[in-house]
Amino acid sequence: MRLSPRSTSARLALAVTASFLLAFVLLGIGVHYAVSAMLTQDARELVRVDAAGLVEVYRDEGRAALLGELRERIANDEDPDAVYALTATDGRVVAGDYRDLPTHRQGARWVEFTEHGGDGDLRVVAQLQRLPDGTTLLTGTRTRSQDRFLALMLRTALAALLVAATLGALIGWLTSRWVSRRLRHLDDTAVRVGSGELGLRARLDGSDDAFDRLARRFNGMLDRIEELLGGVRHATDHIAHDLRTPLTRLRNRLEELRRRHGAGEADTQLDAAIGETDQLLHSFGALLRLARIEAQPPVHDEPALDLSELVRDAVELYTPIAAERGIALSADLAGAGEARLRGDADQLFQMLVNLLDNAVKYAPVASEVALSLRREGQNLAVRIDDRGPGIPEADRERVFDRFQRMETHRGSPGTGLGLSLVRAIVQRHGGQVGLGDNAPGLRVTLVLPLDPGLR
Amino acid sequence: MRVLLVEDDPHTAGFIAKGLREDGHAVDQAGNGKDGLFLATTEHYDALVLDRMLPGLDGLVVLQTLRGAGNRTPVLLLTALGEVDHRVEGLRAGADDYLVKPFAYAELSARLDSILRRGQAGGSEPTRLRVADLELDLLSREARRGDKRIELQPREFRLLEYLMRQAERVVTRTMLLEAVWDYHFDPQTNVIDVHISRLRQKIDQGHARPLLHTVRGAGYRLGA
Repeated sequence: MRLSPRSTSARLALAVTASFLLAFVLLGIGVHYAVSAMLTQDARELVRVDAAGLVEVYRDEGRAALLGELRERIANDEDPDAVYALTATDGRVVAGDYRDLPTHRQGARWVEFTEHGGDGDLRVVAQLQRLPDGTTLLTGTRTRSQDRFLALMLRTALAALLVAATLGALIGWLTSRWVSRRLRHLDDTAVRVGSGELGLRARLDGSDDAFDRLARRFNGMLDRIEELLGGVRHATDHIAHDLRTPLTRLRNRLEELRRRHGAGEADTQLDAAIGETDQLLHSFGALLRLARIEAQPPVHDEPALDLSELVRDAVELYTPIAAERGIALSADLAGAGEARLRGDADQLFQMLVNLLDNAVKYAPVASEVALSLRREGQNLAVRIDDRGPGIPEADRERVFDRFQRMETHRGSPGTGLGLSLVRAIVQRHGGQVGLGDNAPGLRVTLVLPLDPGLR
Repeated sequence: MRVLLVEDDPHTAGFIAKGLREDGHAVDQAGNGKDGLFLATTEHYDALVLDRMLPGLDGLVVLQTLRGAGNRTPVLLLTALGEVDHRVEGLRAGADDYLVKPFAYAELSARLDSILRRGQAGGSEPTRLRVADLELDLLSREARRGDKRIELQPREFRLLEYLMRQAERVVTRTMLLEAVWDYHFDPQTNVIDVHISRLRQKIDQGHARPLLHTVRGAGYRLGA
């Protein structure tokens, strides 16, 4: 998974890791400082005692004894880290091998310097003391072991830091992955339900943690929504059943009247009344169908079908009726390629029929209606061009609404639901429909996603 | 023929029963699913006209129970749920045809005729259809009237084949759409009429006796 700092859980993991490391570093600095101060203190104590011993030798036995003692100690090398030197007033070194030692005027003074020797640079903690005869005694110790200890401590601390950082990052990453996985699942579920898969629910893992509880609430909400929608659908079915029945009765009565009375004035009237009833039933049926298509889930598991075949069938169905009005209906499938998509053949056919019907209805006599299907990247594009009056730009969005009919077309037959159905079908198939200017006439463009297997 | 009608709405039931009797069928009626199922399993009928939404026992359940018990009586399912998924559900449950309310009686009558005939049809498929002096050879895909050959487009051939298989019976526009075009959709204008009139020109022009008739308020009939 990609740990983008934009995701909340990753940010959280990073922040936790960073603050943990910062605390560790600060603590490390503190400990290092305290330990090194303590070690210097110990070294100084050692040096102080040593120096006091030497001064005592000087006091009790005189300068020669001190020199002897010093030389013996330097030669013997009992303590490899001990440093001794004695310098005369003019800076000449009497014993030991330290030049450029500051001559010291009075009492004792602590100095620290670095010794550049064979085994690298060593820190020396030393005490300068002015002896009564004006010479300066330097007693010191190389802090080799202390430094080694400190270096070891630092190395250990750094190793620990590295382990802690890795572990922290790993734990952070795992936590964030776990959090985002559980959130992503909720997110995906919400998206899919939102696009119409109402039966889908979030998975529960039974842990009863915050995520699990959230998922349960979320599922409860979805159950409620589904229940409400089911209620609406059920009510619609019943309304359909209950309202269409009396309408059917009316139609049957009229039919019966027409059967009984032969020809005449009443017959024309009856025919008109039956026609009106049929129109009413037709609108009602279209409205129900529209409501149903809008409530259907998107076409994921529908079978794959060949759109070019549907286009050919629809054009073939409409060719005679177009020819009656002198309209040439042409279909260009050259750029279609393999025009496979997932969907409901009946609905897609209805969509094509509605659009062709409009085109043929509004196209002027002896004009052309051209339909084309071509593949465009991940999509199939269907275009239907006519040379009719077209639709002004201001009305192009409105004509898709239910019962919205152009003022200029009020007189023509139709339910005012044809384009609403087209839009509902296109949307259910994950596509878009747009109206444009064919200068003159109308250009309808449908864009439908290809079958995922072809992309 | 003996027909059982299972329909809860008394008016609809009355009007269908009246029509069926006028067509010369003997009609038994049931007002709910339970009675319908009882009659269908204890009596012999040539066809059932079954409403889908019934009080008590749903029409679909009645149908599934019948088919489950091995009863093969042809069934015409009536419903106000005019949607494809319901249609598929009904056909899958074993209905032979499916009619959406509201319907004109002519539509029911035509569809019932068609399924009754399917119920009687023997096993052997004819390779040649004949109505008066009109002949259709299903193997060579050739149509003749008298001694004159008729040139047909593939769709016209299917249209004529269907009409000839249903010879002397009324065939509605919806039946033609479903059988010949194989899509369930709502034709905006009467596209079918234009196809029929083209076919009529090909088979009736120049003949004294027309064979393809329009039946007002119902559909078409091919016959003498």
